[in-house]
Parts: sequence; C-alpha cells; structure tokens
Amino acid sequence: MGVRERAGGIRPDLEEVFRADYPRVVGVAARVLGSRDQAEDVAQEVFLAFGRSAVPAGEAAGWLTVAAAHTALNLLRSGRRRSAREEVVGRDQPVEAPDVADAVVARAEHGRVRAALARLPRRQAVALVLRHSGLSYDEVAAALDLSPGSVGTTVRRAESRLRKELDRDASSH
Amino acid sequence: MRHPTEGVLRRLVDEPAGVADHDRAHVAGCATCLAGLESARADARTAAVVLGTGAPAVDVEAGWARLTAAAPARAASVPARRRSWAPALRRPAVAALGAVVVLSGAGVAAANDWLPVFRTEQVQPVLLAEDELVALPDLSAFGDVEVTGEGEPAEVPDAATAEERTGLAVPGVGDLPTGVDGDPEHLVVDRLEAVFTFSAEQAAATAAAEGEELPAPPPGLDGSRIRLQAGPAVAAVWTQDSGLPVFAVGRAVAPTADSDGVPFEVVRDYLLSLPGMPDRVADQLRDFSADARTLPLPVPAEMVTASTAEVDGVEATVLESRDGAMAGVVWVRDGVITGVAGAVSTDEVLAVARSLR
Repeated sequence: MGVRERAGGIRPDLEEVFRADYPRVVGVAARVLGSRDQAEDVAQEVFLAFGRSAVPAGEAAGWLTVAAAHTALNLLRSGRRRSAREEVVGRDQPVEAPDVADAVVARAEHGRVRAALARLPRRQAVALVLRHSGLSYDEVAAALDLSPGSVGTTVRRAESRLRKELDRDASSH
Repeated sequence: MRHPTEGVLRRLVDEPAGVADHDRAHVAGCATCLAGLESARADARTAAVVLGTGAPAVDVEAGWARLTAAAPARAASVPARRRSWAPALRRPAVAALGAVVVLSGAGVAAANDWLPVFRTEQVQPVLLAEDELVALPDLSAFGDVEVTGEGEPAEVPDAATAEERTGLAVPGVGDLPTGVDGDPEHLVVDRLEAVFTFSAEQAAATAAAEGEELPAPPPGLDGSRIRLQAGPAVAAVWTQDSGLPVFAVGRAVAPTADSDGVPFEVVRDYLLSLPGMPDRVADQLRDFSADARTLPLPVPAEMVTASTAEVDGVEATVLESRDGAMAGVVWVRDGVITGVAGAVSTDEVLAVARSLR
C-alpha cells in the first residue's frame, strides 16, 4: 500500500474517522498492552499519523487497526515495557480482581501475557490481536494483505505458540 | 480425502459460515479433525481470556479534545515548524532513532518493508520526513516477497549468549556517558533473508488502484528475483528507571543483495519509479552511488541532522536530533555495521564509539 504525503495540513475527514474508529483502535492497543492509558497514548500517535496521511478513506479502519497493533507491539518490545508493567499493576488490574490474592495472580499473569505476546512473530501477533479485537477473517485478510484462508492458519499458529509460551513461562515460575 | 488445514479448523471455531460445506462435512465425521478442532478451540479460548480487556469504556470526546489540542498546531502553516505537539513525539522518535542506529541492517528493512538492495561498505543517511517513512512502498504490492527469519529483536540473558547466537561480539564499552549506568539488556536479531520476485501483473494492478499506469518494466524483469540478506545483529541497551532506552551500542552484519536476472541498478531504478513512491524520496535514493556500496539509512529529517566524523579509521555518519537530546554514530567496516546512540551529546557518543573494544 503506497501512502502519499499530503500537500500539508490535516485531512478533513479526520474527525469523522476518529469518532468512528477511536474505540476500536484503543481496544486493539489495549489487548496488546493490557493498559488503557497506554492504549490511549498509542491511539493518539496513530491518529496523528493518520491525520497527516493520504490513506484512502475506505482503507482507514484497516490501516488504523494495523498501525495500532504495530505501535503497541513496538512499545511492548521497547525498553518501555518495564514501566508498562508497573503502570498497569497500579491502575487496571484491581477492577477485574477485587480480591488481593487474585490481584497478585492477575499481576503475574499480566506480565507473562505481555512477555509471551512480545515473543510471537510479528505477523502472527498482529493477526491474533486483530481477530480477537473483533475483525472478521476477511477484514484481517484485507488489513494484512493475506488470503482469507491463511488468516486462520496464522491465527491458529499464534494461539498455539501463545499457549506454549504461557505454559513454558508458568512452569519456570 | 485430504484433511482440511489447521487454518480451516480454526475458522470453524468462530466463523464457521466462512468454511466450505465439504470441509465441514469432513470434519464432522473425522476423529483426527475433531481432535484438531477441539485443540484449536481450547487455544482460542485461552487467547481470548488472556487478551481480554474487560471492554474498557473509551471516552471519545476526551480523546478528540486531546488530539485537536495537538494537531492544529501542525495544520497551521508555519515558520520553523516548532509544533506544540513535539513533546508528544519526542519519546517515540528517540526510541526510533536508537533502533535505527543500533539495528540498522535488519531492523530498518523489517520495519519498512523496504529492503536495501545494496552491498554495504558505507552508510549514508537519507533524510526523510516522518510520514515518508510510512510512505516507503510495501514491495509485496509489486510481486512476491518471501521472508525467512523474524527480523525482530529478541532479548537474551547476556553478551555471551548474544555472541553465541549471532557470531557477533557485542562491542565492549569502557566508560559510559554521564547519566548512563547499570547493566544493559542484550538483544539479538537473527539473520533475515528475503526473496522478492517482481510481478508485472501485480505491479500493474497496484498502479491501477492508484489511478496510474505502470511504467513499462525493463526487459527480463518480470519474474526475476532479488535476494536480500540482512543481519544477524546484536545490541546492548541501557534503560532509565522509567524503562525508556537511554543508550545503546550495536553491531550488525551489513545487508547484501544479489539478483538472478536483471542487474541491481536496473531493478532499483525501476522500483523507485513505481507509483506509490514520493518523488522526493525517489530522487534521494537515486543519488546513491552506482557501485552499490551504500546503505540507505532513513532518518526523520525534521528531527535529525547528519554529519560525518572519523571512527575506527573509516568515515562514520553522525546523527544528532535537532533538539540536541539525542545523538548517534554509525559506521561500516569489513561488512559489519557498528552503531552507538543515546540520549547523550555528540561528543559523548563519539568518545564511546572511538573507545569500543
């Protein structure tokens, strides 16, 4: 996909696209990062980039979700992942884990999931996150330039590897 | 009858309507496939649980307000392009520059789907605007790209493991710059190989989608292959307490390329002329020496200035962010790229570069 530089300024359809796709873009990043605050930071970066691009309006949703997944995975793999882990522990987990013991388990699990995701091959990780964010097989195929048939294979391998990474990690703790 | 693929079984789990009737019929009566289906279902369930976000409520209004507070400064034309949202970009830009310098071979190629088609003995920065980094065309629109290797950095426990895995020694740093301390993390990137096969048909379809015509391919190009190899690479990265990378040294085997048909320069010039490539970038890339010894190193021109200095007896490229917060130096010697970069001054980065063991 070639993306041309605009003559300057922000594209006029930015607000419309933002309102339609912001929750989904945050959702994709949140699945990767496990932190809504960080996911919103990622979404801001992605929409700023989109606003200056000339991505055709019809391809916006796919472009944004793929960009969100990549940006979030980059963040996960960068040195910032450590602070991401710390941040999340303080903010997000208690909502899902009211009990202290549960919170401890959830915290450890959260770190393991992020580490496992970071170890997946990039294409598998993106396909996995997009599918689990509610994109259909055809949408994932279009967004990643895969055939619809190979989306299932890619997602299947990602899930299998994710489970193995989590098992391996659990047995080493 | 042949068993359906694991991908078909996976789709049966959550989008059965997308699976052909004969595959569904087969699975229903096949113990092997039913077992595979059950296993796919279990893994899918695990993934759904661990990736669950609890459907966070997202405040679209607040998000829009934040974006508009950042974006209009950009839209307003202006002198000097000092935008109010520069601080928001600084952290990612620093991280990106570090990654570019450290893992210039495999990292850049993988990040941009653009594969340097040059045997490298020298590094020359290509100054690009940030959005043009995104604009580099994905070659898969012009043919088939088969990539072997992951091209993603993986963390290893120590320098010895990094060397064992890649055959490259992590450069030893004597005195660290002020403000950098502690033990680094070690990263490796395995060797990445890509074979690009040009397809006139596919390139024509891509051009048509852009409303343009495909320039006539040079004779013999259709179906000819380019093999590009990059990496392996190793890096040591020091981080701040916040987790932000603050300093890094790295080494990578420089990218090489060969073709089995049309000479490189011809392929390169033709690729550069394809619809989807901004003219300015194409012009800059065309400036590369014809002896194919230069690694194009895209850096965001808005943020970075480039100069040269001598390191290790060769000419090195020095990059400095315009706000002075970040500097890096990269050079190539005997087919190996070495880079040093960090949130330090140019003098500090050069001092470390010249004292590497």
